[in-house]
Amino acid sequence: MAFYRGQQGSVKFDDAGSSAATIASTRSWSLTVEKESLDTTALGATYRANVGGLISGSGTCELMYTASSADETNVFIEHVNTASDDGGALFELFLDTSGTKKISFDGVITSAEYSATVGEIEVITVNFVTNGTITLDI
Amino acid sequence: MAAVNLNTVRATIEARLATELALSPAIPVVFHNQPYVPTPNSSWVQCLVSFGANEYLTMGGTTGSSNSVIGVIAINIFTPLGVGPGANLTIGKRIRDLYNRVIVSGVHFDPPIGPEVVAAPAPEGFFQTQVRLTFETFEDL
Repeated sequence: MAFYRGQQGSVKFDDAGSSAATIASTRSWSLTVEKESLDTTALGATYRANVGGLISGSGTCELMYTASSADETNVFIEHVNTASDDGGALFELFLDTSGTKKISFDGVITSAEYSATVGEIEVITVNFVTNGTITLDI
Repeated sequence: MAAVNLNTVRATIEARLATELALSPAIPVVFHNQPYVPTPNSSWVQCLVSFGANEYLTMGGTTGSSNSVIGVIAINIFTPLGVGPGANLTIGKRIRDLYNRVIVSGVHFDPPIGPEVVAAPAPEGFFQTQVRLTFETFEDL
């Protein structure tokens, strides 16, 4: 049985929403896809009933600061500070190094935490939410 | 980018010490796997570099990824017996200042421990202390 380890993953991003480029020094990523549930329980029913509602996603990417500039990694860590954001940035979250197992979506970067701790590597944590369709090619 | 050259890292560490201890007052320094017969009632230094943990830093395979390479340096300082610790600690300060929080050729040195007195000197016949510190370098594949 084939298992995968975290280092086989990767993250690609393009603020223009067309051709995603690899984000350097990525340490981890996570994405939670949620579906709202709508209560359709009939009056007098014994058991609660639900149907699925809207689907959305939110996630985090953690990367190490490398002072990169003029590339998509630099755009990625600064994108939260853009004045207007139409939610068209392309995210691709990969599960394997072959580049075929991925989750892709347009999204909005909602926060970025820049941190420096004595004796540790400087880390930036970027949080994002999805905008529209989430495609699971996994 | 390429795998880290461990011998280059070792040379960076040892050259720094050798250069410092060649200055006046010069003190003999010996490294791993080198024969040395110390002169009785003299001062000398032994520097031992060892590599330890290697850890994942980033995602990626054998290219476009980074690892952390950590090691430890143990520096034994030998000075004559029966004359107090002053001469030993003077050498210890020179060595401590040489590495304390310094970054050289991509090698990051942590704050040193010591000089700590070694209760049972090896070889015998000297007053021995030890300075230890860890270092980290980054491997970009």
